[in-house]
Amino acid sequence: MFKYSTIEKEKDIEVHLEGDLDIDGTEVVKEELIPMLQEYEQIKINFEKVLFVDSSGIGLLLELVQSLQKKEKKVSIINVTENVANVFELLQLPEILGEEVFL
Amino acid sequence: MQSIISKGKSVKEAVEMGLKLMKVNESDVNIEILQQETKGVMGIGRKTAIVKLFRQERFDSYTKSDHSDDDLYATMDKLIEASSLDQDQVPFVHHELHEDKQLKTNQLEELEGKAWVKNGKIFVKESATQFPLVKISENVQLIKNNQIVTNKKTVVSEADLLEIKWEEEQKKETNWQVTIDELKLKVMLEVEPGYRLTREIRDVEPNQQIELVADEYYEAINTLTYEDVINKMKELRVTYGFNQNEILKALEAKENNTYEIATGKQAKPGIDGWVELNIDVDPQNGLFEDESGKVDFREIKTIPTVDQGAIIATIHSPTPGQPGITVMNEPLPAKRTHPIIMKAEKGAMVVKDKVVATESGRPFVEKRGQLCKVSVIPKLVHQGNVNLSSGNIRFNGDVEIRGEVEENMVVEAGGDIVAFKSINHSNLITSKSIVTYGSVISSELSAGKNNMLIVEIGHLLGIIHAQVEKMIMLIKQLMVAPAFKSTDFSRTGLQPLINILLEKKFNGFRQYVRSYVKVTNKGKNYLEDECWLHVSASLSRIFLALSNQVISLEMIVKLSEKMKELHEFSKTPVEPEAFITISNTLNSSLYSSGNIIIIGKGSVNTKIHAGGLLKISGIVRGGELYGRLGVDINEVGSNSGTKTFIAVPSDQKIKMNKAMEGTVIKIGHITYVFQQTKYHVDAHLDSEGRMIFN
Repeated sequence: MFKYSTIEKEKDIEVHLEGDLDIDGTEVVKEELIPMLQEYEQIKINFEKVLFVDSSGIGLLLELVQSLQKKEKKVSIINVTENVANVFELLQLPEILGEEVFL
Repeated sequence: MQSIISKGKSVKEAVEMGLKLMKVNESDVNIEILQQETKGVMGIGRKTAIVKLFRQERFDSYTKSDHSDDDLYATMDKLIEASSLDQDQVPFVHHELHEDKQLKTNQLEELEGKAWVKNGKIFVKESATQFPLVKISENVQLIKNNQIVTNKKTVVSEADLLEIKWEEEQKKETNWQVTIDELKLKVMLEVEPGYRLTREIRDVEPNQQIELVADEYYEAINTLTYEDVINKMKELRVTYGFNQNEILKALEAKENNTYEIATGKQAKPGIDGWVELNIDVDPQNGLFEDESGKVDFREIKTIPTVDQGAIIATIHSPTPGQPGITVMNEPLPAKRTHPIIMKAEKGAMVVKDKVVATESGRPFVEKRGQLCKVSVIPKLVHQGNVNLSSGNIRFNGDVEIRGEVEENMVVEAGGDIVAFKSINHSNLITSKSIVTYGSVISSELSAGKNNMLIVEIGHLLGIIHAQVEKMIMLIKQLMVAPAFKSTDFSRTGLQPLINILLEKKFNGFRQYVRSYVKVTNKGKNYLEDECWLHVSASLSRIFLALSNQVISLEMIVKLSEKMKELHEFSKTPVEPEAFITISNTLNSSLYSSGNIIIIGKGSVNTKIHAGGLLKISGIVRGGELYGRLGVDINEVGSNSGTKTFIAVPSDQKIKMNKAMEGTVIKIGHITYVFQQTKYHVDAHLDSEGRMIFN
């Protein structure tokens, strides 16, 4: 099951993702996260509790980050576990989204 | 006894003793006093007297002596030598006659300040003035007062507690190993025989400087047995091709060596199938220059023709190779041989192993690797002009046009096009060759269209294939990454993943695919093999369309294989090559997959692309020219400054007898603009990629 929780502070928000970021997270991301995060200026996405990803999940992440970047929000992805980071590297996510996104 | 060294408490005593020993009188000898006796105080510092006595008549008797005495003197000499060389021999003389006491004293004095080695032990005798020096060689340790001497040299004294240590014996077991090569055709036995190294400390005579040396005795001990080898071979399942001699040699080996102890039998390669032509089908290269550079247009080589029923070619089936045998006694298949794939097209038929003409006409044989196409091309002779009243000419065979090709007409042929008069504002297209005797004005000539197309799309496909291979590798890598779930592949296919890949990692890939699809669609009619179009469809379905079709890795792998095949095929040169030979041209475009030769006045403002050599015996004014296998032009440029651009690949040459100002040449990526007229230019790149002109 893919879940998330948030910690807000004025215009900043940190989103804690929990569970596998995969095709089953499509609805959560597209219908909840993307519209909701448009409200904030600085968005941190915490990947600490994401242990597995699939290609659809990465597609969702790209969509999410790129939609926010388009509106010139500052997005960063934090606490990515080593194995997941490995997958991101293989797909050159840092090159696609910008090195500064991955902290 | 010719001389003697004698010692005594006094010189007198020493001399007396010497005379007694030599059994001579004092008058018979010369006496040399080597050391005067010293009394010393209470026995300390006391020294004995040493004298040397020489028999006086030694020389006389030697010279006087006759032959019978020779032996005697020889013996004497030896003794003398012994006594003078070996100091020990002197006291030996005393031994029998004098008290031991004196002798010992003498001996000890001789040894003063010296050290010596006997039976692996070191002895030292000090003197007041000197300590003996000991050099220590490798493999020997000197323990002085329970400490290992680390220096190479040391002085020793009687007070030192000395011990020599050395490794008396060193052993190494025999090492050996058996390896089989990849092809299982050779079994190699590598032997490193064991050995025993024994060391002994060399005895050293007393001297002020001595060296401790360990003598080494090396003995190779090869413990490898025949059984060892055979058991190992059994273990490795080697059962064929034993080289008994080599095994025996290995058992005897005293030095490291490698032996080939079993050899398999290599497979003998077979011969691919081939085509034997029973008639001459070689089309001649159009027009030829004679020695003076003139062309006789009447001297056209006759194009060979066949009558119905004639045998054009014989197909020879491949000769299979002979299988080999591995050392494991497994058959080793010979490399597969490929038969000729004969496609008898229009006008030809395969009967058993023969290709027979079913129509009369020009036999045409095209080979690309093992693929061979034979057809008999009919010939169309068009007597008049090609114009609105004759209509465009489209004929699947050779076309000969006796008249002009007038404006906006098209001539399309499956075989060669020969035009006797000028061509104006028209299109001539063939997959074979074009020869024209008139001028080519504002027209487009294209020879070997299909070949050019195949080279072009083959090149594109090569790039696409390489990228797809990379993609497949990456996908496989991803699928084994611990944090990657491939569960969605069964639901959505690879599409989401491909989209991510194309975003950055394979950025630009789609562009290649689009070009490929575009070119294949355009050239549809010239592509005989439908595989090119199938690949085009698959590529656009997987990488261009946003369809919902589920794409599996297998599909991509299969497509990649197909692309590889086609790419390989496109690299195989086709024979015979198409060519264009014309007399002169103005404002036109010429494309040929093979050579382009312009033998008349030359070319003005014409775009020329030759897949082979481009040779122009006249003048080139303006235009863009490319010769994949080099360019050879008499004169380039114009006074009016019209730009002429000539290009070849990096490994080819551009030759020009005269290159006028403003001419631009490009070899590989290097461009050069002529600022002034140059003669006899032979431009090419040197090994460092710089353009040179001679």
